[in-house]
Amino acid sequence: MTIREMKKQDPKILLNDAYNKVVEYQKKLNASITIIEPEANASDGLLSNIPVAVKDNFSTEGIKTTAASNILDNYVPIFDATVVKKLKEAGTVIVSKASMDELAMGGSNLTANIGPCHNPYDLKRISGGSSGGSAVLVASGAVPLAIGSDTGDSVRKPAAFCGVVGVKPTYGRISRYGVIPYASSLDHVGYFTTNIEDAALALSVLAGRDDLDMTSSYAEVKNYHEDLNGDIKGKKILVFDNVVNAIEDQTIIAQFNQLVAGLAAKGALVKHVSFDNDLMRAIFGTYFIIANAEATANHSNLDGIRFGHRVDGNTMEEVMINTRTRGFSSFIKKRFVVGSYSLFEENQERLLRKAHKVRRLIVEAVMAELKDADALIAPASGIIAPKIASEEKIDELTDAYLIAENHMIIGNFGGLPSMTQPMGFKDGMPLGVNITCNPFREQTMFDIGLAIEDLTGLKGLVKEDF
Amino acid sequence: MNYKTVVGIEIHLELKTNTKMFSGAPYTFKAEANTLVNEVDLGMPGTLPCVNHEAVRKAIQACLALNLNIDPLIRFDRKNYYYSDLPKGYQITQQFHPIGRDGYLDIEAEGEKKRIRIERIHMEEDTAKQFHLFDETLIDYNRAGVPLIEIVSKPDISSGLEASLYVEKLKQTLNYLDVSDTKMEEGSMRCDVNVSINEEGSDVFGTKVEIKNLNSIANIRHAIDYEVNRQKEALAKGEAIHQETRRFDEKSMTTVLMRKKEGNVDYKYFPEPNIFPIRIKASEIEDIKEHMPELPDAKMARYMRDFGLNEYDANQLIQNKDLSIYFDKLVKLVKNTRLAATMLISELSGLLAKRSEDITTTKVTAKNLATLIQMIDDKEISSKQGKEVLEAMMDGNDPKQIVKERGMKQVSDEGAILKIVEEVLEENPSSIADFKNGKDRALGYLVGQVMKKSKGQANPQLASKLVKEKLMAN
Repeated sequence: MTIREMKKQDPKILLNDAYNKVVEYQKKLNASITIIEPEANASDGLLSNIPVAVKDNFSTEGIKTTAASNILDNYVPIFDATVVKKLKEAGTVIVSKASMDELAMGGSNLTANIGPCHNPYDLKRISGGSSGGSAVLVASGAVPLAIGSDTGDSVRKPAAFCGVVGVKPTYGRISRYGVIPYASSLDHVGYFTTNIEDAALALSVLAGRDDLDMTSSYAEVKNYHEDLNGDIKGKKILVFDNVVNAIEDQTIIAQFNQLVAGLAAKGALVKHVSFDNDLMRAIFGTYFIIANAEATANHSNLDGIRFGHRVDGNTMEEVMINTRTRGFSSFIKKRFVVGSYSLFEENQERLLRKAHKVRRLIVEAVMAELKDADALIAPASGIIAPKIASEEKIDELTDAYLIAENHMIIGNFGGLPSMTQPMGFKDGMPLGVNITCNPFREQTMFDIGLAIEDLTGLKGLVKEDF
Repeated sequence: MNYKTVVGIEIHLELKTNTKMFSGAPYTFKAEANTLVNEVDLGMPGTLPCVNHEAVRKAIQACLALNLNIDPLIRFDRKNYYYSDLPKGYQITQQFHPIGRDGYLDIEAEGEKKRIRIERIHMEEDTAKQFHLFDETLIDYNRAGVPLIEIVSKPDISSGLEASLYVEKLKQTLNYLDVSDTKMEEGSMRCDVNVSINEEGSDVFGTKVEIKNLNSIANIRHAIDYEVNRQKEALAKGEAIHQETRRFDEKSMTTVLMRKKEGNVDYKYFPEPNIFPIRIKASEIEDIKEHMPELPDAKMARYMRDFGLNEYDANQLIQNKDLSIYFDKLVKLVKNTRLAATMLISELSGLLAKRSEDITTTKVTAKNLATLIQMIDDKEISSKQGKEVLEAMMDGNDPKQIVKERGMKQVSDEGAILKIVEEVLEENPSSIADFKNGKDRALGYLVGQVMKKSKGQANPQLASKLVKEKLMAN
């Protein structure tokens, strides 16, 4: 059901229904960190009385915001993130602060301090992350819209694994103010819906310049949902061959090729592109250095002095050391070590500055092709959601990992609008397709998305029996 | 052995803006602790910096006044270190691209002009203020995020005196610009000096010792003079100078070791990702240039050229910015500009000091003072009467009214004064005798008696002339 259709329902029933589902599903899905009893919202906006979930790294005034980390397990913000403010103004009611990887630093949702989040299509499988809780709450039909954040592919990957639409618009399109950061130059606000119409509607509400975020854009916000047009005749779509070639699963390739053929049949001009494979293999390493370098500085404020879970000590320095030692999981600490290492004066040239250069080279290579086209298309992932207790670990030095599982980071490197939506199924698990467009061409992205939705018939997909 | 003193100075200056460097929180100096704070200043998760445009304009003004080249592309970096007074765990500063480079300030030391080069000016944010008690630490976050500029000189300073002159001139200049309060005692201007000595004729720099947080210009001079001697004595004894941070102890007038420096701290600087580079338009810099307030050197030259003031008076006026602003107003309303300067410097300033008032709060308006000066200049009242009137004006009264009420007027009628002179001479035969015996003091006494008898209304020059004439004729 689309949000437009939901708005015709009695808001009381709608909100209670969502709340009851969030509560009821919690035992099986473990998707929420804080569940909030709904109160009707008097404001008559585009999303009036629509229940929503918000990832737990978005500041909510008066409501605990932990980012799934022990260091913030008692932190109650004194202000709303700009996105939260906009959601409230649009009429939504927040029913869940959704689970996530600790401090958004992960891709599995296994590192949340409340434990893993489960995939409604198979409870033994991961949701993906870091915005796993948000993805799962939409996939299970509990809420029609959930907010997430996307630094590598933290919205678009879980969207693929859970069979929902996951949007990451252009850098600066949605304000980041109040979002507990991971890596500022890569962080984007994103969100999940079950269909393209809702995805377009959500951007009409969330986008816009915010004076509290200097990187937010002054570009005009359009009525994306009203201008939605699935006619893609003449649209130039680039097939990302490096990704296709790196994927080993032929079922996924076959479904992808069929979808591309469908787009061509609808009049899209399909062209295959291939970039230097060495450059593509460098995506993950480049990302890992930049993201962790920024993260280690971004999280230096978590010291137990002014807020958060303080662990006492005899001196201020001891308080800070004890708080950080106990507050972060070992997984986070490892990342801080990597980040710090690449920031040391003697390593910066070799690591961080080089990573900045490679980031630029990758973006330039992709933009050289994309600037004359409308979208770059690829399977979002070469696998279905892995099992939580997975025996078979993917070899991280193969193209199947480095390229097929990390290509969506390009959207973060270049701040390009990028969206994943359901493509089909394998073994009962959803598969996703990703499209990436030119900066601020979200309308084109939604238009092509609408055409894909028409081809797959996977509109409003939810999994309620689990 | 002869040594040369080498001093470099780093000054941290709080900019005079309504709000903080990267947040909308207001800032004033004397506010209750932790009342001028918002979520950004506390480094709460998810907050983002927003550059204060006014602070950038003030920094540009400082750069222009100190002859620096301005980098129109404003960029910020993160300086990473953990300390309880630093809410974010990093300070936003300008490490790689300071707003200004390569400027200078000319000082005059012992009659000679000397140019002190300025290496850079960069913008950054202040830290919170800590109060360490016996077993706890209190933190006031009001100061966290206050806009600062750091002004780094080249090591061109070669004595404690030069250092104090440099800081004094800098303070005066920046105060005129209204860029900062420049109050060292309140911490809106903070000064660290690097002192080393090296052998005369040698290119090798001696080991640098840093003296931190000097809180007055006098102490800058004392600290450097002491430190130079300490280093000389150490070298004479064959001891090594260590790279260390010291502080100045006011009681003993010595520098005291704070901590040894063990290698350079790695602050892991990297570009601030939350602030894109900001391009300042050439037209904006031009606009700032056009609206620059007059600087002290230019003002002093103008006072001497346009108003005929001597160097001493002109200098007295510019030493105090507010006094010069008052003078600028006053001088437009009077004919006798030199008299105006004297009245301001010698008379009004003295009375204000006596009453613990200052020129910004005085009830003596420039218009009233101008009226008074005009009356003196027109010889309507004597200058002695003028002083009395001014004293009565301190509570805001009109000078014409005072003169009228007190029946004051200057008698310049020769006949009238002569009559008094004759009376006085008649009453003081012994003084006449003294005068004839060569005691010049007697003349002054007799004139004084004339003034007294005329109730101060006699024109003193005329009285003096007539007494003298009478005595000579006698």
